[in-house]
Amino acid sequence: MSTVEEAGYLPGLSPEAIGRRIVQHRAWGETVAVALPDLTGDQAETLCAHVRARARETLRRMETARIVAAIDRASACLLDRTHPLRRKAEALLPVVTGYDRETVRLGLTSYLKTFRRPQLLRFLAEDFSNPAVLDGFQPAVKGGLVRARGPDLLLHVWAGNVPALPLWSLVSGLLVKAGTVGKLASAEPLTAGWFAQAIAEADPDLGECLAITWWKGGEGGPEATFLAQADCVMAYGGNETLAALRAKVPVTARFLPHGHRIGFAMIAREALDSRRAGPLARLAAHDIVRYEQQGCYAPQMLFVERGGATAPDEFARHLAHELAALASRHPRRRLDPGEAAALAAWRNAHEMRALDGSATLLGDPADPWSVVLLDDAVGLSPSGLNRSVAVVAVDDLAEVPARVAPHRAYLQTAGIAAAPARLMALADDLAGAGVTRISAIGRMTAPEAGWHHDGRFSLLDLVTMTEIEAGAEAAAEGFAPYAD
Amino acid sequence: MSQAEIVEALLDFIGRPGASEAEFEALALRLFAYQFAHNAPYRRFAQQRGRTPLTVRRWRDIPAVPIKAFKDLTLSCSPPDAAERVFMTSGTTGSGRGRSYHPTLAVYDASMLAGFAARIMRGRDTIRMGILFPDEAALPNSSLAHYLALAKAEFGTADSAVFVGPTGLDLDGLLAALAQAEASGEPYALLGATYAFVPVMDALEERGRRFALPPGSVLFDTGGFKGQSREIEPDAFYDGLSEAFGVPRTSCLNMYGMTELSTQFYDDGNATCPPVKSGPHWIRSRVVDPLTGIDVPEGETGVLVHHDLAHFNSVSAILTEDAGVIVPGGFRLLGRVEGSASRGCSVAVAEFLAAAQG
Repeated sequence: MSTVEEAGYLPGLSPEAIGRRIVQHRAWGETVAVALPDLTGDQAETLCAHVRARARETLRRMETARIVAAIDRASACLLDRTHPLRRKAEALLPVVTGYDRETVRLGLTSYLKTFRRPQLLRFLAEDFSNPAVLDGFQPAVKGGLVRARGPDLLLHVWAGNVPALPLWSLVSGLLVKAGTVGKLASAEPLTAGWFAQAIAEADPDLGECLAITWWKGGEGGPEATFLAQADCVMAYGGNETLAALRAKVPVTARFLPHGHRIGFAMIAREALDSRRAGPLARLAAHDIVRYEQQGCYAPQMLFVERGGATAPDEFARHLAHELAALASRHPRRRLDPGEAAALAAWRNAHEMRALDGSATLLGDPADPWSVVLLDDAVGLSPSGLNRSVAVVAVDDLAEVPARVAPHRAYLQTAGIAAAPARLMALADDLAGAGVTRISAIGRMTAPEAGWHHDGRFSLLDLVTMTEIEAGAEAAAEGFAPYAD
Repeated sequence: MSQAEIVEALLDFIGRPGASEAEFEALALRLFAYQFAHNAPYRRFAQQRGRTPLTVRRWRDIPAVPIKAFKDLTLSCSPPDAAERVFMTSGTTGSGRGRSYHPTLAVYDASMLAGFAARIMRGRDTIRMGILFPDEAALPNSSLAHYLALAKAEFGTADSAVFVGPTGLDLDGLLAALAQAEASGEPYALLGATYAFVPVMDALEERGRRFALPPGSVLFDTGGFKGQSREIEPDAFYDGLSEAFGVPRTSCLNMYGMTELSTQFYDDGNATCPPVKSGPHWIRSRVVDPLTGIDVPEGETGVLVHHDLAHFNSVSAILTEDAGVIVPGGFRLLGRVEGSASRGCSVAVAEFLAAAQG
């Protein structure tokens, strides 16, 4: 049976005038047709003008607390398993993205928990020592007063198929009172629109200040209009896509790119005793299985230290065992031919290495996971994704920062299992090498609220400060009616 | 079996167009045993897959080596230093060049000539040729240079010519030859790398010049664009060729070959793209799931595996990086299987390598 789900959220445009492009998604024996909005240049212009005007008129005057409350309520809807939007998300997202139902369900819940009131306040507190600067002028440390202002029109260009990932930047924009237009990713075109709808239900005024749409990237259409209208463009994608986009953004607009990244894990010998190694392998397997390593924080390589009670090869076998066990509870997404070929190419390359003994492939090519054990001093390199991972045996984890350092531009999350003193020492070196997030094993794919994505400030990067200098304040005193 | 016996058996097999499936299978198994015995890296590869001459009963079960292996390993049953010729890939992608060692060119040449006669010459003995590719002296390790030299030597008329020299394309010479062919009424064959046709078409358009080559003329392209020219969609490419030279798309023939093989595939014209490709009776193709190596159901897309008996000295079974689908009479080639960029925000191997290579 097939249903048609209308994607996007377009206040201020009459629904019947909106062109639609139907895209079929198939997985788990079901089909979902998604109708993506396909606007004309004029409609894009109208939409931008609407969002910009409403943002200026209403959003600017809203207390941050009201925005927080609206986002909190929208998140609560999507966390409520009986809510129609949540039901729709659980029914449709597995078919659209291909991830299994349980992965989607658990992922949505753990992710949406980041957008409730206490977590949102943490977001604000993380970037602003006094979040009240978003609502009005506040005393500055150096004297005078400052206030922070988000862009009038913030354009998000989302990519990828990790469910609900766009909410991170969407929420960040709203918290700084930015008029918001989001471009859906073709591979997951639903959650952002649903979330916008939930926000509109929670607070209709706020709902008028954001829109969610779609266009085919790089092919003319309304793209130029949106890019020309935006004061700030937050974009996700591969470096080539980002470069093409950057070239089209006016120089007066701020461009905040988030390119593709790589995550890796490090397991210290003190974590490798017989009591800890098994559970650790299970946690690592979770990091690998969650969203099939499509997220930039997922581990693609595990550096495992020699000298523990559990040797690296034994750990690799534990990991393979856990991946096999998880595969029955969370079946792997069906791979398209390109993905299968990428995975096969990765396996084949290691199979060639195995001929001279420098690699050991665990499992069978038909298994829905792959673990390769590398005995060599190898540098960081991506895996074939979709549950493929290399376990690299190292004499000392202290060698790892130097090995990953050449890939600074791609580094993101490092999951670490080590004693406190070593964690600190390793973290220091990894930070120097360009790693921007260090997490526990098992938490790699679930960043905390207030996370500095790719080492940047989620909120601070968006705002412009206006300051009243101390001198101006003092000079004003001279013109007061009570002046002597 | 000795190398001499293999060569003799292959030359005999190539010369017998009526050879049955059972005969192909028998020879394929003999060759697998030979390669298993004399090609150490291939033996280790096959053993790792649990495939040995004792366990393999069907040619389809002979393990296919990924073509990348030709870069990393020395795959030869005879001492590589003693090879009469080593063909190397152009090395446009990744590190290193794939190598195929030929202790003798007798089998390669017999395979090439039989295929070319049947699929390009089609009963004709000779045709005047123009060649848009450097000759063997310029590219001694290019299998395509050797292939085209052989075509010209065996099937070309005396006034056939190569139009790519040390200074590049001899456009004036080519235009003169084409004009002459047009006037003579004798069919003409223009052969070359796919990308080599692009600047010729561009030059003709710039000059407002079109040819109407005589009926029976043939355009022959191979190898794709390889970053050597701008990429043109197949339909637009063959429309362009057809218009520029006045040759119908049914006479625009494409050859699909590889350095890692000794036999080529052909289509019967590019009236519609992609056309059905097929090879002679000593090569068979399968379409597999690249992960498991298992055949996909007929009509489904997968990755092409070729089993070329003529590639006797190296490995006869190769897993390509080309997507294809089996259809009646052969297969359709659907282009390269790109190791797709990830669908999420994880960096994938292709992007990572591209950055590493600068």
